[in-house]
Amino acid sequence: MGLSELEPGAAGSPVVSAVSPNFMTTSLDFLANWARTGSLWPMPFGTACCAIEFMATAASRYDISRFGMERMSFSPRQADVLICAGRLPFKLAPVIRRVWDQMPQPKWSISMGACASSGGIFDNYAMVQGIDTIIPVDVYVPGCPPRPEGLLYGVMLLMKKIRGESFTDDLLRQEQTIGANGLYLPPDRIDELSEPFGNSVSQTRST
Amino acid sequence: MTAPPSPSVAALRKEFGDAIGRHVVSCGDTIVYVSRERVHDVLRWLKETPGQGYTYLTDITAVDYRDPECPLEVVWQLRALDRPADLRVKVALPAGQPLEVPTVWDLWRGANWLEREVFDMFGVLFIGHPDLRRILMWETYAEGHPLRKSFPLRGHFSRSEQTRQALAGNPEAHYSLEELSIAEEYKNLPPDVRERLKQGKRGFVE
Amino acid sequence: MLRPFVPILLLIAFVVANAILLIGLSHFLSSSRSNPAKRQPYESGMPVIGDARQRFSVKFYLVAMLFIVFDIETVFLIPWAVAFRSLPESAGLLMIEMFAFMVALGAGYLYIWKRGALQWD
Repeated sequence: MGLSELEPGAAGSPVVSAVSPNFMTTSLDFLANWARTGSLWPMPFGTACCAIEFMATAASRYDISRFGMERMSFSPRQADVLICAGRLPFKLAPVIRRVWDQMPQPKWSISMGACASSGGIFDNYAMVQGIDTIIPVDVYVPGCPPRPEGLLYGVMLLMKKIRGESFTDDLLRQEQTIGANGLYLPPDRIDELSEPFGNSVSQTRST
Repeated sequence: MTAPPSPSVAALRKEFGDAIGRHVVSCGDTIVYVSRERVHDVLRWLKETPGQGYTYLTDITAVDYRDPECPLEVVWQLRALDRPADLRVKVALPAGQPLEVPTVWDLWRGANWLEREVFDMFGVLFIGHPDLRRILMWETYAEGHPLRKSFPLRGHFSRSEQTRQALAGNPEAHYSLEELSIAEEYKNLPPDVRERLKQGKRGFVE
Repeated sequence: MLRPFVPILLLIAFVVANAILLIGLSHFLSSSRSNPAKRQPYESGMPVIGDARQRFSVKFYLVAMLFIVFDIETVFLIPWAVAFRSLPESAGLLMIEMFAFMVALGAGYLYIWKRGALQWD
């Protein structure tokens, strides 16, 4: 999928428009996206060490209030971004799925840290190997934990992604719930995303 | 030059004789091996005798050694608060015998969750426990007991199967009546929970 | 005749139009992507246990009723005070009249006090 196949105005995804872009739609897009990026209210789903770094980012030295994100919403009903900061055990998987489902559109998610992005150092029986097997993720911020500057860069990348969105794009604000097979992604995709590497390659059998 | 063992060891040998096995001093801590049949009496004696007074149960855990010759050991870490003194009591459970030990919930209420954790992670049954069910993994976890050496690190099932089971889990399905401390909540419980409580089922012992 | 009220009527019209505009715009321009989990109350991501409809104490009703009674008394007191100023010759009669009114209501107040209606627990 090369760049030539993408329509202009998209930030990485092909735009399927019911209405062809014109001055009115692009102006309204600009306005709506400016409003959205200017006040992204985060829902901090902080489970572990990355949550501490998130708190540091929210504190005075690094200050995500500059980005309009100072109003933490601990209820999903008033949140725009779900920031999963920390490792996610399997026991917490239905919780984050339900919290994600309860967030109203438009919503985005940031997977902060190595554990939320891929399972991190916890490649074991109890940890979800990347929250993208459970909820859709927009921006992955690597690090263990990422520095506040790293998280801020992730936030800025999300803002850049939002600025490329258009309300004429029908595919954009679709809600994909858990399928009949009980999963969000197809099983082979989950297995592919959770493949062991490094020291974990031999850990699917006991000693 | 190793430290001398705790004086409780000699007192235990005088009181219980054959039930006390060997003792070890490791990093300044005294470890006493006890037979499984008498361990409840030993722990009660250690708690209630005025000279011993180990009134604080620090932890209950278990050890599964890498060497298959070594048996699985259940460990009680005790502390006497006024002296202060520590003592570690161990019971070795050899391979052929059932993995059961008596509960110490009647002596220390805090043993409730500690023993649930040992059951969850090692599969050791605690006879007399009021509510023995899994505590760290979800209650319908079917892969086994994770901290045993025979359990592979990444679990038995494939990742997609683990994710599916996790997403299907209902975190609140198995509250006991004490945990829902407002008893009038009973009529608001889902019907399967009410059924379970009505039948008097308090725990899963698989 | 209605001249002084024109600004108020304009304000009311503006407020109503503003409310209709805001709610109407957000109703028509918004998307609605509802799913079963979204329609349930938020319980920290857990499945919902119990009903939100709880009983609450009847004492709220009692307090509201008592408030109405003594509020009406106050409502009668205020125009009486205004009229009192402009009728200085019948001051004595007016005072006795109002005090009789307040004594009657005070008797009611004493009754509810002794009866324990002012105790919350």
